[in-house]
Amino acid sequence: MSGAARIRLLGVAKRHGGVTALKDIDLDIAAGEFFALLGPSGSGKTTTLRILAGLESADEGRVLLDELDITDAEPGARDVAMVFQSYALYPHMSVHENIAFPLRMVSTPADEIERAVLQAAEKVRIGHLLGRRPGQLSGGQQQRCALARAIVRKPRLFLLDEPLSNLDAKLRLETRVELKKLHRSLDVTTLYVTHDQEEAMTIADRLAVFMEGRIEQVGTPEEVFAQPKSLDVAAFLGSPPMNFLPAKLVGRVARAAGQTIDLARDYGPERDAVLGIRPGAIRLEASGIPAQVYLVEQLGENAIVDLHVGETLVRVRVDRRVRVREGDTVHLAFSTEDLHVFDAATRQRL
Amino acid sequence: MLGLAAGLLLLVWSFPVLWGFLTSLKSERDVLAYPPVLVFAPTLANYRDVLFGATTILPNLLSSLIVSVSTTAVTMLLAIPAAYALARLELPAKRATGFYVLATQMLPPVGLVIPYFLMLRGLGWLDTYHGMVLLYITAALPFAIWLMVSYFEEIPREMEEAALLDRAGRLRALWHVVLPQARGGIAVTVVFVFLNAWNEFLFAVVLAGNTVRPVTVAMFNFISVEQTQWARLAAAAIVAMAPVILLGLFAQKHIVKGLTVGAVKGGGRR
Repeated sequence: MSGAARIRLLGVAKRHGGVTALKDIDLDIAAGEFFALLGPSGSGKTTTLRILAGLESADEGRVLLDELDITDAEPGARDVAMVFQSYALYPHMSVHENIAFPLRMVSTPADEIERAVLQAAEKVRIGHLLGRRPGQLSGGQQQRCALARAIVRKPRLFLLDEPLSNLDAKLRLETRVELKKLHRSLDVTTLYVTHDQEEAMTIADRLAVFMEGRIEQVGTPEEVFAQPKSLDVAAFLGSPPMNFLPAKLVGRVARAAGQTIDLARDYGPERDAVLGIRPGAIRLEASGIPAQVYLVEQLGENAIVDLHVGETLVRVRVDRRVRVREGDTVHLAFSTEDLHVFDAATRQRL
Repeated sequence: MLGLAAGLLLLVWSFPVLWGFLTSLKSERDVLAYPPVLVFAPTLANYRDVLFGATTILPNLLSSLIVSVSTTAVTMLLAIPAAYALARLELPAKRATGFYVLATQMLPPVGLVIPYFLMLRGLGWLDTYHGMVLLYITAALPFAIWLMVSYFEEIPREMEEAALLDRAGRLRALWHVVLPQARGGIAVTVVFVFLNAWNEFLFAVVLAGNTVRPVTVAMFNFISVEQTQWARLAAAAIVAMAPVILLGLFAQKHIVKGLTVGAVKGGGRR
């Protein structure tokens, strides 16, 4: 019954009416992994989660839990627990009854239920709130209650649908860390849906980036951040987002914004491309590409400087002690290995 | 100011009831006094007459009770699953069904008397309990379904999905999660259905009246060509009102609970 499960999605597709919601979804998630489904809203990540839960059926493809095909299994038969974005707590039941519900539904002996409820509640530190109704809890407490209800029956797969989106910023950071700890202590495969790239990067072992109903890239946060496979992934990850410059590639050099930029390798005959560079990878130096300072945003630890390179807006992250003023002319420098090169037509990494 | 306005409204609303109550305590002579007397010697004679006298309405109260309780029970038993299905499932003719249900409520009942008469006569069910209950259900069921669909639709779908994942299955999700939250709506519907059946007069007087003689029909007897026994009629009316008021008071608790119970923010994306 218990123990983390390996999850595989093989060629899953889903249509809502005539609209394709998901296409060719292939995923292989290892047992015990903390895996994030990341993407903008409407990209299909929640639909994927719901297919895993059995709340929606796949039009094509298979869903495997270890070796077991659960594509058409009822939600209750899957040994899967889920925390909904709205928490979906039962408002007419106390916290205790809420947490006990999944156990009560399979006729667990009363003393066993009692023990499991207390244990789960302690784990998320709501042991003192068991007598309350969900309506009497704060947002953070409701969220913990939903977590406790999900972990009480020791599921093999744990699904979290934007669990932090209804919390305020400070609580979100705290809960993020706790979720990670909880995952470690439970040893259960966890899928985590979020549109917040920072959340996914910090919490997940691996992540899949969803765009318009398909998976653009799967990898560790480091891989996806350092080697985005396409322009869309590159643009979606990172805050502030990656800078893009339209360019022409000829051999080992690129021409962009009236400048000639050296490249790490030979890209062959002339072609249209887009150069990408992260705001943190650019340095302000004595020589390099000239740019006009347009706006300085102080963020405390560091600052974001908006610059004009020719007609293109470029954003640079600098140390807060760097003194630049609006209207200044500065020079930009960067290492060629920090440069991301994408094909202008296919939007894929070159 | 607001209190005054509320008080005035309450007075307007309760005036007929109060007047009826006062009348029920008067002798027939005081009832007919002109100008009306406000100070009179109250008597319980009318109540004694309508409850235990020759013109007792107790059997009729029982008759009303049988018809109304049966109608309400059968209606709710059918309406709850039907309304739930209409609220949740993607049915092909959902809109059309909804409109049809509403349309049945727009027919003037008097236009249905003859067809109902013919149908009940054909079945040999004139002046029978099952005949009257069946007839009342035809009116109450669409109304009850229509009323409850909106209550079910208000309950977030994620609530049931959570129950399904918690291994409840559809029926137990309905029983443990949906119905408790629809309690307010169910209470409102029960009150309306019961009230309509209890107060129904037209069909009862035309299609029944001997074996099945509900209190509304019995009260009609106090009005005859020669005279109207206003005081007894008023006493009978007050007695007939009592069960409905009791039901209302009992249901109120659930109605108020039904309104406050869903106080969890979030609610989910629809």
